[in-house]
Amino acid sequence: MKEIVFAGFGGQGVLTAGLVLSQVALFSGKKATWMPSYGPAMRGGTANCTVKYSDSRIYSPGQEEPDVIMALNIPSFNKFISMVKPGGIMLIDSDIVTCDTNVRSDVKVVKIPGTTIANELNNPKALNIIMLGAMVKLMGDFSEKEAIDGMNDMFGKKGKNKYEAANTAAFKKGYAAV
Amino acid sequence: MAKGKKVPEKILRQVPFCPGCGHGIIVRLMMECIEELGYNDNVLIGKPVGCASLLDNALAVDTFTGAHGRNGASMTTIKRLKPDMLVVSYQGDGDAYNIGFSETMNAAYRNEKFTVITINNGNFGMTGGQMAWTSMPGQVTATSVNGRNVELSGMPIRVPEMIASSFDTAYVARGSLFTPAEIKKTKSYIKKAMQAQIDGVGHSLVEVLSPCPTNWGLTPLASMERIVNELVPYFPLGEIKNKGGK
Amino acid sequence: MGDMVKGNIAMGEAAIRAGMHIYCGYPITPSSEVMEYLSWRAQEAGRQFIQAANEGEAMYMVYGAASIGSRVLTASSGLGISLKQEGVTYMAAADYPAVMINVCRYGDGLGSLESGQTDYKRETRGGGNGDYRNIVLSPSTVQEAVDLVYLAFDLSEKYRNIVVILTEGALGQMMEDCDYPPMKEVPYYDWAFDGKYTHGPYPSQMAVDLHAKGIKNNEKRAAITENEQRWEAVGVEDAEYVLFAYGIPGRVVLGIVDELRKKGEKVGIIRPISLWPFPQKAFDSINKNVKGFISVETADSGQMLEDVALYAKKKGFGNVPCYFISSPPGVPKSKFVLENFEAIKAGKVKEVF
Repeated sequence: MKEIVFAGFGGQGVLTAGLVLSQVALFSGKKATWMPSYGPAMRGGTANCTVKYSDSRIYSPGQEEPDVIMALNIPSFNKFISMVKPGGIMLIDSDIVTCDTNVRSDVKVVKIPGTTIANELNNPKALNIIMLGAMVKLMGDFSEKEAIDGMNDMFGKKGKNKYEAANTAAFKKGYAAV
Repeated sequence: MAKGKKVPEKILRQVPFCPGCGHGIIVRLMMECIEELGYNDNVLIGKPVGCASLLDNALAVDTFTGAHGRNGASMTTIKRLKPDMLVVSYQGDGDAYNIGFSETMNAAYRNEKFTVITINNGNFGMTGGQMAWTSMPGQVTATSVNGRNVELSGMPIRVPEMIASSFDTAYVARGSLFTPAEIKKTKSYIKKAMQAQIDGVGHSLVEVLSPCPTNWGLTPLASMERIVNELVPYFPLGEIKNKGGK
Repeated sequence: MGDMVKGNIAMGEAAIRAGMHIYCGYPITPSSEVMEYLSWRAQEAGRQFIQAANEGEAMYMVYGAASIGSRVLTASSGLGISLKQEGVTYMAAADYPAVMINVCRYGDGLGSLESGQTDYKRETRGGGNGDYRNIVLSPSTVQEAVDLVYLAFDLSEKYRNIVVILTEGALGQMMEDCDYPPMKEVPYYDWAFDGKYTHGPYPSQMAVDLHAKGIKNNEKRAAITENEQRWEAVGVEDAEYVLFAYGIPGRVVLGIVDELRKKGEKVGIIRPISLWPFPQKAFDSINKNVKGFISVETADSGQMLEDVALYAKKKGFGNVPCYFISSPPGVPKSKFVLENFEAIKAGKVKEVF
């Protein structure tokens, strides 16, 4: 089983990125759970969700010891760096998380210039998908094609096909950035 | 000699209201209207908590036992789910205007297409004559033994006027019972209120000023005189709003 | 394979599929998505929806809707369900069915918006004045929530009894895949008011011989107790310790038990799915030499713990100590539960019963 936390400011699309990953897992025949922070944890502008996927029954859907954390702002980095499983990964947008990230020697910090890539794509809203592409590559559980198909399937069902090309491009850029 | 009108067939028995009480007359008028409109077999009456609880097993129509004051809410869903059924909420003033103020007003606010008949006798009759929001200034009740002090408890409430002036409902009227002519008028108000429902125009409410000799400590006749002299000047009679049929 | 769907939304859809005719409610976190979803979905499916002025009004609307034999749903959370209790007990007195979802939030009074299980006592004991009990079902996955909401309408009708789905903020807010059961169109029940006086006088609750009715109610409750116990059990036959947990803690503790048993520890779990009736039959499979029962709840005080102790006594485990693990608001952390379990095993924690 894998546990991933997506964290950032409200509006950065971290909850959606988590949902896409959970849907990709389902699309690949796995079990998945998605648990948002809500209520008081949402106040103050930060949002996060926990995604788990597995080949077998998922017991706790809650935050336990994440294998990977995606942090899209400094407060999220500071809040979650201590929670990462030893040997786990902290994935950050190095354009935003500009603080000292050399906090734990047993955690691999992967830096992606997500905001720069998004601007290059002329699609600043795609930051979450770019970072998701990088994450999928780091996890190694899904092929690029499998993930893109799962993602487009999800947005298609929500009636958002018109973003398919842009999302695909963003995902590929992120995937290639690792 | 005037010919006695036949008792509506859906009234099974005499209801043991106190001597001189107005409830019996109003129930009779309600049942006559239902019968005359042809709804004897397609009607539901919401029964409240209060003196009208005595209606138990007295009427051969579906009779819903509401929670105290809450029939504005319960009649809402009944009417929405059974739009062709005549739905009538029969309520006392304590039930509809005190504890049920929110439900009564919210149903009118939403313009729910059922009919409310409220019996305004200026006190909580069933529980022993306590002060109601309709009690008059200075009125002695079980909870205002020195007379109602409106400085502390507010002026008597006129819900029909509030509904008529604030909400987009179909029909609002206030009647009384102190002469046969008034009774006849009150019946015409109740019938028009039901007709407004049948025609789908909207919410309708008829308040009836009704004597409560037992709790007022007056004879039935003196109670009628009190209505004429004290209540009618404050609670004016007549149609307050009539949007007309479709 | 279904898609990822939020617990609250899945429960709303399950109600539509179960033939719900009308929803009456008032918004409150963390249950609001049930009504947000039904506000458009009910209309789309040819059903009805009313947003009431408050929780109490919503329940009196439910009361009216039930009286004419419709399938009616309301949902709320914690204190919102408190406000409904007058309507609930009136409905119990009238033997009216309805389904009520409590997406529980933690705490007394306003409480917190976070997930909790602090409403166990109220839901399983009735909640309002009088002697009645509601059937209480508690899911631990989105799929189970769907299945139980679907079942709840049938149970409610079968016993003419309110069925409460007691779930938690965490399950209402989380997403998981689920498969929906088939769509049902259900006519209004024929025992109800039809405007024609078909069933004669509806007795006022005051005019009824209440004691005679109470005896009949006891028979109904006995039948529910016999027929409707539901639970999931793992490892109880050889367990030295049996943990009890329902809802989200139920699935967390299942994971702990699974892990410990892989390591060879003799530990078991009973996850009640019906909270009333409490699954007392589950005790029949428990190792007679069990050393302790442990209730794990997202609550300050052991609420289900009292039922565990009561039925332990009834089932011949009266001398087995009953412990409590109080998990803070939110989803219990496996590590926290494990540490507390180790402390109990080490004799560092005193039993409650």
